[in-house]
Amino acid sequence: MADADLRVKPDWGVLTGIAFTFFALGVTVNVLVLERVGSEIKTVVAAIVVNSATSELAYLAVRDAGGSVLAALIAGWVVASRFGLLAAGLGGRLQVGRLHRALAGLQSFDPNVGVAVQQPTSHGVMRVFWMVTLAMHAGWWSGTFVGVFLGNIIGDADRLGLDAVFPALMLAVIGNLLRQRQGMTAALAGGGLCAVLVPIAPAGVPIIVSLVGAAIAMRVRVPEGTT
Amino acid sequence: MTWLVIALLAAGVALQRLAGMFVGTALIARFPAFERLASLIPAAVVSAVIVQLTFTSKSSLVIDERLAGVAVAGFLVWRRAPMVVTIVAAAAVTAFIRAAFGL
Repeated sequence: MADADLRVKPDWGVLTGIAFTFFALGVTVNVLVLERVGSEIKTVVAAIVVNSATSELAYLAVRDAGGSVLAALIAGWVVASRFGLLAAGLGGRLQVGRLHRALAGLQSFDPNVGVAVQQPTSHGVMRVFWMVTLAMHAGWWSGTFVGVFLGNIIGDADRLGLDAVFPALMLAVIGNLLRQRQGMTAALAGGGLCAVLVPIAPAGVPIIVSLVGAAIAMRVRVPEGTT
Repeated sequence: MTWLVIALLAAGVALQRLAGMFVGTALIARFPAFERLASLIPAAVVSAVIVQLTFTSKSSLVIDERLAGVAVAGFLVWRRAPMVVTIVAAAAVTAFIRAAFGL
């Protein structure tokens, strides 16, 4: 299948879907963080400066399980390592100055990088990256506000199925990559390795090891004229 | 979570992102074979995130209502449904199963 047929095009439907997902994520994560931190201000500041919901959750999960602050911090850092990998994937497609590059690196998440790297030109990558980033932040901030200040009204967010929203978004983001032989191989290998390692490896490690899936996919032969 | 912990967590996350952007990108530039590898990283890593968010509870593998929601999302992605429809359907199916079976 040709490249032109495979790109996720960030129209209003896509951007609305991403904003809605991050709204749901902002609500669910910040209700949980507030429960454990007990301070609205700390919850909001953590959401702003940590800029990684999974890191916050990993830190709190280790502390909940009786782990030390250091162990919890390491878990929080390790689960964020995928953002470094994604930033590296994005960086190779950018032709911008160092400051712009640093800002893009600091905003590297799964959906914005996942959609941006599917664009054919460096300009398209940059434009789409920031469009998706804006949609993500609009959803995340409104969700954070609702989660922190109105969370008691919403009650149990899982009851609304909001915990299925983020994996569904992720699937939609890589959906077109799955139509390519190498993309499908990378996804199956990465996901499979993660599933095998989750019960036996420390938090965050399965995500890092999933990178091997990309290396395995490199060995798949690509028919001429396809991607 | 103290203010110091918030600062340390934030610094560690930011440093990794910057290292990926500058060091990782430099490696890709130096070794061209890494470029194709880098383009496959999102598929591998995002897929692992999907597995973790769908099949895990703490450090155990589980099959629960989320799988039904994500399976519906997979079908809709395959049928090229709009993203927002895919996401809302995943949430609705998961919520419906929980309500219907009292989970």
